[in-house]
Amino acid sequence: MVREVSESCLDNLLTEVVSCYCNRFYPNKHDLAARRIEAIGYQVGHQLSERYTMERPRFNDHLEAIKFICKDFWLELFKKHIDNLRTNHRGTFVLQDNKFCWLAHMSIDPLADSSKSADGSASPTAGNKATHAMKMHLYFPCGILRGFLSNLGILCAVSADILTLPTCAFTIRIKA
Amino acid sequence: MQFFGGSEISPSPPVPTASGNNGHMIYMFNRNGVCLLYREWNRPLRTLNAQQDHKLMFGLLFSLKSLTAKMDPTSAEKGNLGVPQLPGQGCSFHSFRTNTYKLSFMESPSGIKIILVTHPRTGDLRDSLKYIYNLYVEYVVKNPLYTPGSPIRCQLFNTTLDQYMRGIA
Repeated sequence: MVREVSESCLDNLLTEVVSCYCNRFYPNKHDLAARRIEAIGYQVGHQLSERYTMERPRFNDHLEAIKFICKDFWLELFKKHIDNLRTNHRGTFVLQDNKFCWLAHMSIDPLADSSKSADGSASPTAGNKATHAMKMHLYFPCGILRGFLSNLGILCAVSADILTLPTCAFTIRIKA
Repeated sequence: MQFFGGSEISPSPPVPTASGNNGHMIYMFNRNGVCLLYREWNRPLRTLNAQQDHKLMFGLLFSLKSLTAKMDPTSAEKGNLGVPQLPGQGCSFHSFRTNTYKLSFMESPSGIKIILVTHPRTGDLRDSLKYIYNLYVEYVVKNPLYTPGSPIRCQLFNTTLDQYMRGIA
């Protein structure tokens, strides 16, 4: 039995979670807020891995597990595949999504952006703050990936980068 | 109300009725009269400064809405002229046309007003206004970096809107 949920509701809930943790619970401690959000993602990924690998046999190696994430797992979550997978064959994988759905509705103020390029200085301008705010939204999917892999027995660290909106890249470093 | 699945905007944009380059200006106001958006593509004459222009436009629409509601021959009960009505109640006008331009108007149940000024021979733009409202929901309301009630400064919304306006009359 398949149950459905509205995609707009989920998008808004995630936006509110990030906003709550960053502005209300831990106002000036963004690292702590990020870790809490990532921990929520970890739990979610843990449970999702049980559901989506139920009918599969065990993975032979790390690469197979990552390929499963790129194709089937991402398809279940976001209705598309990962667009680009790179690896250094020594435990580091980079998953690139060219149109990450939780970043697809975000855009920054064009005026603040132009003032930032004119400045060129390292002071926190509005453009930098916007990029920082967008990065906070990527901690949840990082947690999902880490929880998913940890339930398969693969311990790792996951980080994310925004290349150009809405393209982003998740870097998975597997602990040897 | 439509439900959105996937990342495409739905419903699909209405078929253009004439060649592009007919859109002149667009205004968007919220319930409190704050001008959320003003963009112009073709406006040779500017008589007032921006603030006065926005206030004049908002006041004009407020008066026109009350006037049309008051003069409605089909409705039995009418409030006094000037009483603010809930959006969607009473009759609401949707466009007026002069010999040099046509102004189309739409108000959402949440009080967001969209005004489009175009070429006088433009057809009915109600579907276009609904599509612009959908764009607003997708790219502005769902943008975590936007605070509701402030002027819209979202790059994605501006580019998509410009692209859409170039394609319709």
